[in-house]
Amino acid sequence: MEKSSSCESLGSQPAAARPPSVDSLSSASTSHSDHSAHIKSASVISSDSISTSADNFSPDLRVLRETNKLAEMEEPPLLPGENIKDMAKDVTYICPFTGAVRGTLTVTNYRLYFKSMERDPPFVLDASLGVISRVEKIGGASSRGENSYGLETVCKDIRNLRFAHKPEGRTRRSIFENLMKYAFPVSNNLPLFAFEYKEVFSENGWKLYDPLLEYRRQVLSWIHPESQATITRCSQPMVGVSGKRSKEDEKYLQAIMDSNAQSHKIFIFDARPSVNAVANKAKGGGYESEDAYQNAELVFLDIHNIHVMRESLRKLKEIVYPNIEETHWLSNLESTHWLEHIKLILAGALRIADKVESGKTSVVVHCSDGWDRTAQLTSLAMLMLDGYYRTIRGFEILVEKEWLSFGHRFQLRIGHGDKNHADADRSPVFLQFIDCVWQMTRQFPTAFEFNEYFLITILDHLYSCLFGTFLCSSEQQRGKENLLKRTVSLWSYINSQLEDFTNPLYVSYSNHVLYPVASMRHLELWVGYYIRWNPRMKPQEPIHSRYKELLAKRAELQKKVEELQREISSRSSSSSERAGSPAQCATPVQTVV
Amino acid sequence: MFSLKPPRPTFKSYLLPPAPPPQDEDRSIPEPKIKKLDPVLLPGEIVVNEVNFVRKCIATDTSQYDLWGKLICSNFKISFITDDPMPFQKFHYTNLLLGEHDVPLTCIEQIVTVNDNKRKQKILGPNQKLKFNPTELIIYCKDFRIVRFRFDEAGPESAKKVCLAIAHYSQPTDLQLLFAFEYVGEKYHNTAKNINGIDSGSGGIPGGNSQKTPLFETFSDWDREIKRTGASEWRVCSINEGYMISTCLPEYFVVPSSLADQDLKLYSHSVFGRRMPLWCWNHSNGSALIRMALIKDVLQQKKIDQRICTAITKSHPQRSDVYKSDLDKNLPSIQEIQAAFVKLKQLCVDEPYEETEVKWLSSLENTRWLEYVRAFLKYSAELVYVLESKHLSVILREEEGRDLSCFVASLIQVMLDPHFRTITGFQSLIQKEWVMAGYRFLDRCNHLNRSAKESPLFLLFLDSIWQLLEQYPAAFEFSETYLMLLYDSTRISLFGTFLFNSPHQRVKQSTEFAISKNIQLGDEKGLKFPSVWDWSLQFAAKDRTLFNNPLYIGKSAPCVQNGSVKSFKRTKKNYRTISFCVFQGFLRLCHTCIFNE
Repeated sequence: MEKSSSCESLGSQPAAARPPSVDSLSSASTSHSDHSAHIKSASVISSDSISTSADNFSPDLRVLRETNKLAEMEEPPLLPGENIKDMAKDVTYICPFTGAVRGTLTVTNYRLYFKSMERDPPFVLDASLGVISRVEKIGGASSRGENSYGLETVCKDIRNLRFAHKPEGRTRRSIFENLMKYAFPVSNNLPLFAFEYKEVFSENGWKLYDPLLEYRRQVLSWIHPESQATITRCSQPMVGVSGKRSKEDEKYLQAIMDSNAQSHKIFIFDARPSVNAVANKAKGGGYESEDAYQNAELVFLDIHNIHVMRESLRKLKEIVYPNIEETHWLSNLESTHWLEHIKLILAGALRIADKVESGKTSVVVHCSDGWDRTAQLTSLAMLMLDGYYRTIRGFEILVEKEWLSFGHRFQLRIGHGDKNHADADRSPVFLQFIDCVWQMTRQFPTAFEFNEYFLITILDHLYSCLFGTFLCSSEQQRGKENLLKRTVSLWSYINSQLEDFTNPLYVSYSNHVLYPVASMRHLELWVGYYIRWNPRMKPQEPIHSRYKELLAKRAELQKKVEELQREISSRSSSSSERAGSPAQCATPVQTVV
Repeated sequence: MFSLKPPRPTFKSYLLPPAPPPQDEDRSIPEPKIKKLDPVLLPGEIVVNEVNFVRKCIATDTSQYDLWGKLICSNFKISFITDDPMPFQKFHYTNLLLGEHDVPLTCIEQIVTVNDNKRKQKILGPNQKLKFNPTELIIYCKDFRIVRFRFDEAGPESAKKVCLAIAHYSQPTDLQLLFAFEYVGEKYHNTAKNINGIDSGSGGIPGGNSQKTPLFETFSDWDREIKRTGASEWRVCSINEGYMISTCLPEYFVVPSSLADQDLKLYSHSVFGRRMPLWCWNHSNGSALIRMALIKDVLQQKKIDQRICTAITKSHPQRSDVYKSDLDKNLPSIQEIQAAFVKLKQLCVDEPYEETEVKWLSSLENTRWLEYVRAFLKYSAELVYVLESKHLSVILREEEGRDLSCFVASLIQVMLDPHFRTITGFQSLIQKEWVMAGYRFLDRCNHLNRSAKESPLFLLFLDSIWQLLEQYPAAFEFSETYLMLLYDSTRISLFGTFLFNSPHQRVKQSTEFAISKNIQLGDEKGLKFPSVWDWSLQFAAKDRTLFNNPLYIGKSAPCVQNGSVKSFKRTKKNYRTISFCVFQGFLRLCHTCIFNE
């Protein structure tokens, strides 16, 4: 990462993941007809590029580069398979924090890149195209006033990027068209960049999770090792307004109850607010009546639906980006209700975990569809109950299992490469889950093997479309797209450089159940994620490098302990040879070793 | 001396975690059960009253976690002694002076007695009568704790007596009635045959650190500080020896070399509290930080001001100007801070919990507590900029120079000098800018429970340090736990550190006390009270390791007076965002209390 030179590149593509690539444009059949000439040639030329970045340039661009040394310095660091689709110099980035800065704007098939040598260190903006949810033109050619003619991109990761073009430079149109094309490949029948990305990592993340090993039953999430109490998830029961019952469902619950000998009761957690559940009953998607489900108790967890959550995040963005009103910060934050939603999700998961752990009762969790709020609740409850999921690998498996395998519809909720930004199916469900995890790491700083950067990296690649992990909406679709063969898993990248993501304070107490305090008094806004673009909110110290130092120190000390233990054992064994000597009292030490 | 001694063998906490079931061999020496309910008393501590069969309420909504035991009132604390283990394991450390259920008398804010049957309720002041037998006692503590006892099964008369005793002893009429005097007197009596009384005036040894905390009581401590910061144009001035000039200044302090003692004496008559300019610290670029009370003599004002500024300018290697900062005009007053604190306390202890929960953030905002934390951080950061980048000396001016100046002077030094981010350095800073500079701990902490001058300025300071710790997690040697326990220590009236309004008051009061108790002081100036910095009095070595911040990186440069520049720049840039740290700091400072109930 260009840490020293960049103001806004945090979370962009890490330097270690620069792969060779295959060009993507062979499938660009239905691209816009009014391409500017040099872009067309660029797509032809770069079709069999291999390694050096110069090969990725069309002749036009190469000339441009040679005649303008400044532009050369303002080129993006390309992933080997990435190629430049458009480049415009003399573009002004209107940075809301540090003011307007002039430089070169580049669009590749993976990223939007802006660099200015005007500042020292150079100013860099580096964003994957996947984060863009909307591109808009600002002002017409006749617009008066400085910087009034240009483009604005609205991003999924809580920022907007605004560029001003010179009206006479005629660069806006082609940049706009290229952005519309490569930021929304799905809408243009182009493949997502993940399919071009062929980096080979030392570990294959796709092999991490073996559903055949993990599956016991299709929807069984977790079983308590001692009490045999289980967490089970499903979608809403088919209970209609006429009091229609579902015999299969009732039998299924009885079976769950029977398999846990310690309790004769079962708890059904419905994630929705009870009002909504009543409303849904009219539409045939109701809730269990307690007469039909004997020994079952129904609890509503009052978590709102995806539309409420989307609106809450929109409000949050409004108050954090770009400017923050200092004097009313807390009341503004309260009015977004974001933390309140986080609280309800955490509180719901807490109740589930508590029922399983303390009540030794099996629980069934569901909401309307069974893959949004349900996934949040079950995965958080499992994180509280089982220390395995708090390790890096365990967490990856948790995401694979509870989110990917059980069919959270990532494509629908995120809208990868889809220009339809107003789609009502989009919602920050997974983001909320990660936020809840972050809240837990704040409350239990030594209980998680991963650090904050791990969580931010996951969120960045939730949108980036660099890895195949979060693509598609179901297991079936993923199989059809052959993601395992055609894309790289995010876990391959993460597991190949674990030292970046490891929490040096981690202590493995796998049997501890974590009960986070789900109270506004303890929840915090995740400033390191939501307000990270504001340079004032950047961590004031390179804490990340400190983490690495501590990890090295810990490894060193561990080694020393082992050496000393070896020494003790060799000493005590040599002393025990001298049978009958007083040194024999040292034997207990051996058992320690 | 006794500070370095291991705890006496008889000294054991009676509230250790539940003991393992007795082994067979232990049965040979069965301890009578009643013996366990004896209080652990410190030297000089006496039980005033006690009552058996008391129920301590743990949860507000249910009595299922209630504990049974004996409630005692001593001249130091109220103590609840029980065999029952705490239902929720909360503490990761054990205070050697106080059990889990103990409350020092100086921590008590209000005592409310209730009689359910007669539907009566009374707030107990000192020397008051109680016309009913209480069924319940509610104690509101200064650290946000609320402790409730039920007397349903207890003897009504003894219950009443205990309540009255608590009311009486927690609101003493005189400073010398505070337990610290009794304790230290007892120590002197016991060690009189040894070397000159006791040597507890030393700074003690913090966890894992072998350095002693300079107390700035002596000439040499100040001289060392001058040398450490390279303040070559400054000198230690002894004209206040024996507190001859000012009773709210230390005996030794530092002034510009060019100011003669004679002039200082002359000027002092025109200044509030006869407080002459006090040097705090020197930047490596030569700029100095000075604090001073206002000049009350209008006629002399301009002239004296000029003379002092000229002298400060002369002490600057570049002869830079002096930047005058009027704290009273730029910062919230101590009354405003107290008002914010009262609101904050209300919010934190408000019931029902769920209702405050919904409006938590906006209610928090409305207390203005965080706004004030921010105001101090922001203003100090601006002055840091003046010292650091403009190379100007800064003079902090405040009417009496004993409140806001303590806060701002120390915050600036923490921001600029990594030495003050170590445990020893931070403690020496509190000695230098608060204890010795005459911050009125007695009044502001309200140890006698009768002061209208109460204000939590010191807590606000610790909160701002906590905010810095949040922003610079690797810059401080100490942890959040350390800050929290430091604050708790201000509520324990055993240490001399936070007990007095000025060093002079300590000397005067303790000399009087010594005479009345026939204690030979010898050459000593007043009694030597134990210091808070002697942490071994409160915590075992193992618990003191919790003071250390595992992320601490160490002072960036081997030479202490350097290494400040780098860290500062980041501070300055970021002061605006400080209010974002969503509270926590304070909640955590009093967190043990809130969730204890």
